Amino acid sequence: MSDTTMTAPEAGPAADATVPVTVLTGFLGAGKTTLLNRILTENHGRRYAVIINEFGELGVDNDLVVDSDEEIFEMNNGCICCTVRGDLIRILGGLFKRAGRFDGIIVETTGLANPAPVAQTFFVDEGVRARARLDAIVTMVDARNLPARLEDSPEASAQIAFADIVIINKTDLVTAAELAEVEARVRAINPLATLHHATRADVPVATLLDRDAFALDRILAMDPNFLTEDTHSHAQGIYSVSFAVDRPIDPEKFQSWIGGLLAEKGADLLRTKGVIAHPGEDRRFAFQAVHMIADGDYIGPWKPGEPRRSKIVFIGRDLNRPQLRRGFEACQVPA
Amino acid sequence: MSATLDYLIDRRGHPARFDAPAVAACFDRAGQTAAFALGDGTLRLFDLGDGGWSSHALHAGAVLALAPDGAPGGFITGGDDGAFRRLAADGTISDIARFARRWVEHVASTESGTLACAVAKTAHLFDGAGTTLKSLDHPSSIGGICFDARGKRIVASHYNGCTLWFVAARTDSPRKLEWKGSHLAVAFHPEGDAVVSAMQENALHGWRLADGQDMRMSGYPSKIRSLSFTRNGKWLATSGADAVVLWPFFGGGPMGKAPMEIAGGAGVLVSAVACHPKQDVVAAGFADGLVILADIATQRVLPVCPSGGAAISALAWHPTGAFLATADESGGVAVIDLTSKG
Repeated sequence: MSDTTMTAPEAGPAADATVPVTVLTGFLGAGKTTLLNRILTENHGRRYAVIINEFGELGVDNDLVVDSDEEIFEMNNGCICCTVRGDLIRILGGLFKRAGRFDGIIVETTGLANPAPVAQTFFVDEGVRARARLDAIVTMVDARNLPARLEDSPEASAQIAFADIVIINKTDLVTAAELAEVEARVRAINPLATLHHATRADVPVATLLDRDAFALDRILAMDPNFLTEDTHSHAQGIYSVSFAVDRPIDPEKFQSWIGGLLAEKGADLLRTKGVIAHPGEDRRFAFQAVHMIADGDYIGPWKPGEPRRSKIVFIGRDLNRPQLRRGFEACQVPA
Repeated sequence: MSATLDYLIDRRGHPARFDAPAVAACFDRAGQTAAFALGDGTLRLFDLGDGGWSSHALHAGAVLALAPDGAPGGFITGGDDGAFRRLAADGTISDIARFARRWVEHVASTESGTLACAVAKTAHLFDGAGTTLKSLDHPSSIGGICFDARGKRIVASHYNGCTLWFVAARTDSPRKLEWKGSHLAVAFHPEGDAVVSAMQENALHGWRLADGQDMRMSGYPSKIRSLSFTRNGKWLATSGADAVVLWPFFGGGPMGKAPMEIAGGAGVLVSAVACHPKQDVVAAGFADGLVILADIATQRVLPVCPSGGAAISALAWHPTGAFLATADESGGVAVIDLTSKG
């Protein structure tokens, strides 16, 4: 990918021919290992392969557990933030040589990992893309330690920013007020993620796997109230901004604006999602990006009577709110 | 290609179908047996003498790599169970080495019996008896290994280049061939003149060993998984495009030249290539199961297996070129008999 691209879905294997991959991030001690042990030992009747990082110590001896050293490779494609996980490309290639299918694959990252390379691997490598699809990024946080982690390590914010699902674990160790504060901190970074509470990583496996969170039609699951939330001003760190406009969006203007924006600011834009109304088009156009890698297509029709408002959310750092707002508003067709 | 074509497999093929993906194929060094490595951990052997098939359980998971043993009739394999194993001509299976919680992703051998396997960042060398000779460390995981034609040197590809080692050197001071990016499959020029690797970015990178000259070969629409030099190293055939791509390694090398393309036009990607050991002929397998033979000089194409199947995962030639082995991703395999007969 030499540049920002927005492509229609390519003719290829249907989504159900690909194996869903769940990325599990979170700091050491957040409870990832407890969760993985549960997934591997619970009697759910499904077959999951688990790729654990070099520091992982799973209590179960299972031939579906693969050790991996996180190897982050830069792509020579002119896209500065385009990094992939070389070890994942190899391991997934090897897993697909096995007889019998997996119901899913779970990739655990080290506590300090940036989730971007692992997510980008599923968009950039054609061999991986043909066989596997990124299902969701699940981030596990320790309710008691999260405030401190957010202060002392930028990766903690990044892991929440990338998440489709955030599990706030060890809720029994905090008061209701502390939990509410932790939730508010998570929401300030990522208003779109689904939140779960847990005490000993006891989240039903079904709520984490097979979420299809990267499917464009899931973008609709964006909380319709997210725009009404009071948006805080953050002096630094990772946060989100969102906008909605009432007039339809000119596809060419939008493509040109978002393409330029992602090319220029992609390194700071961790995730972008939008649902767009095109003039004279009854279907909604859904759009998402991980850094500079973008994807967009028409999804189902607007509901009858539903206001055709176009919405966009940016999660990232150093977001220039007035500039982004003006840019998005200028994509509208003339009044 | 139309269904009325005469495919070699119909008259000269010994096909079989197994329940797991076929990962690799090769013939033993004496040319008695064809071997197919499967995702269920077995090797399936076809005896060229009596035409019989046999199954041998080598690994607990998938077989990831296969090569002929140094000794006639035998094979070596690597698996995702961490085992580097040998299947001898008499059917005996033995461990050469085991690596806890790791995968043996690449294996190779020489005619003189030196064996090699790659496990994560390390290439391990063994003599024919299975005694460890040395372990060669690399800066990142190994993407491919290859001996030169004489078995004197071994090259390993990895992130940001390849490393070239002398097998028998007392002190290990390897030659580093550097080029930014992730290097995967790797091939040695048969005259030892050059090393070429396939990269993550749909391109090849080569190093002319005499002067270290870089050779860039790009323009592919997809990743190159398979590369093979012709017998004398005049051409390098590769997969990764919707035609067999052949880079000229004569008259100054491939730099700045366009490659020759054979058997294109159908818009289907080539997934595997293998050059004939005695003639300037290349076998190519496509993503739709089609297998062809192409004569490089005349560009004449002979159909071997019809399209309509799974992607061809491996092709291998008998040491004399009398037989071709084909394998596909859904477990379909065949040995094609190319000997002249009435």
